[in-house]
Amino acid sequence: MKIDQIIIPTTSNVINKPKLSLSEDEEKPKPFSKVLIESIEKVNELQKQADKAIDELAIGDSKDIVQTMIKMEKADISFRLMMQIRNKILQAYEEVMRMQV
Amino acid sequence: MDFFSAMDISATGLITQRYRMNVASENLANIDSTRTATGQPYRRKQVVLEAIGQYYEPFPQLMGMLGGARVSAIVEDQTPFRQVNRPGHPDADKNGNVLMPNVNAVLEMADIMSATRAYEANINAFTAAKSMITKSWELSK
Repeated sequence: MKIDQIIIPTTSNVINKPKLSLSEDEEKPKPFSKVLIESIEKVNELQKQADKAIDELAIGDSKDIVQTMIKMEKADISFRLMMQIRNKILQAYEEVMRMQV
Repeated sequence: MDFFSAMDISATGLITQRYRMNVASENLANIDSTRTATGQPYRRKQVVLEAIGQYYEPFPQLMGMLGGARVSAIVEDQTPFRQVNRPGHPDADKNGNVLMPNVNAVLEMADIMSATRAYEANINAFTAAKSMITKSWELSK
């Protein structure tokens, strides 16, 4: 790579700014509770998919053990991540409750 | 491109290696099959794999492009059939020669071993991605 090819990122030449999860027309940021509900719904969806895959494997509709295992792993990881977030929120709440007034 | 993509890519690797394993098993099972639907002896089958997605680079405009591998085709090996002298065989010609499949047991065993190792490698990549995700939770501790 030639040195002169390196473009120093300034605000003008950054074309592909990493987009936030908010859509363009949305002025107000999403409230945290909504983000939380959406992510819990996603975790639930992954759990459902894993359940369905296990059922299909058990009754013989599907023979794809790889996809079943991967769906189970995804469900497991997302659930554990949700638990981590929940623990963190609870920790923050307890911290606030301990505050002297 | 999140961590789950790494898992999905590993899954495509697992599936393609399973295909290779299946085809090698079929070749081994048919190592002495002199009759097929085409009237010829069994021809050795080979799996051709291809990459999904053009290429993946860590640039935002290319993110979300899922890579991985998939089976492109299953082709027949066009090498000549083995000829063995077996006069009592029902498929023998007038000289007593029988055309046997062009399957080499040693080659198939090597293929099975390589498929097994590649499968293990994909599983290792999968568990590595998993441990990276679980490791990232320690950021909150």
